[in-house]
Amino acid sequence: MVREEETSQNKGFKLLGILDVQRIPCARNAILHGAGGSLTTGMLYFLATSRVRRSFDVGFAGFMLTTLGSWFYCRINNAKLRVQQRFIQEGIKNKIVYEGSVLDPINKPKAENPSGPS
Amino acid sequence: MAHPSQLGFQDAASPVMEELLHFHDHTLMIVFLISTLVLYIIMAMVTTKLTNKFILDSQEIEIIWTLLPALILILIALPSLRILYLMDEVNDPHLTVKALGHQWYWSYEYTDYNNFGFDSYMVPTQDLTPGQFRLLDVDHRMVIPTESPVRVLITADDVLHSWAVPSLGIKMDAVPGRLNQTAFIVSRPGIYYGQCSEICGANHSFMPVVVEAIPLKHFENWSTLMLENS
Repeated sequence: MVREEETSQNKGFKLLGILDVQRIPCARNAILHGAGGSLTTGMLYFLATSRVRRSFDVGFAGFMLTTLGSWFYCRINNAKLRVQQRFIQEGIKNKIVYEGSVLDPINKPKAENPSGPS
Repeated sequence: MAHPSQLGFQDAASPVMEELLHFHDHTLMIVFLISTLVLYIIMAMVTTKLTNKFILDSQEIEIIWTLLPALILILIALPSLRILYLMDEVNDPHLTVKALGHQWYWSYEYTDYNNFGFDSYMVPTQDLTPGQFRLLDVDHRMVIPTESPVRVLITADDVLHSWAVPSLGIKMDAVPGRLNQTAFIVSRPGIYYGQCSEICGANHSFMPVVVEAIPLKHFENWSTLMLENS
């Protein structure tokens, strides 16, 4: 069963042999944003100054900053989602456990019924 | 369990291991970026024709390469300390199990309610049945309920051992004459494998740890059965 799972899944693409961009959440997006940022900043600097070598340096700096920015932004949102997911899971569990009881979270106190005609 | 040629972590089965995985991703991205930066600098140094034999100091670069590593270390240390304290949080375990290391098997004692215990020997290769894992499966697994805080008290009978289950994020030394404590919650039912992680003699590689997590109702049935059999 383990071999079937292994062959059915892609083995993952590891940048520099360490960073598995397919499996790590936010990694793929961060690297792609970084690549785009690098191209953009490098090209813009070159168009402005025509300095080739320095453009590469600026492009690399753009890659680092864009990757970091995208990575942290995505990870913070991811962390918030995971916290929300845990609350929801806990809420669903409590709803099932407490359903119909006094502790039911959706149990609203009913107003007193008026007494019927004597 | 691990699949052949696996390098990375196993899937997390406890909240602590999930946090450790996320921390590992965070740190790995930082390491990747530093490696990329170093590679780029090396390539730039190797391919330039510019040289300056008389440079003595530069205040700006000194400030950068002092502050930047400090910032990076803070970025790594803060989540690391968070998880460190998270792992040591006081919890109220529903169950306590004692794991004793022997040469060369583990024994487990459930003494909370009624006393029962059993030994856990590795299934020899020649006795494996189809579907069992070589060097990993045991005759009696340590069974615990899912979604319940469990405390494990670990010690050893003879020499040093270490009780480790990677997918739960647990590794604790089993020291003779000392009782080490660890706690965990298993998030999902399943069977989780580990191996002794402290050299303990000839059969150190042949005393695996197997934790079976099952829903509470089934755990109660299992413990009743074990009591009847003991």
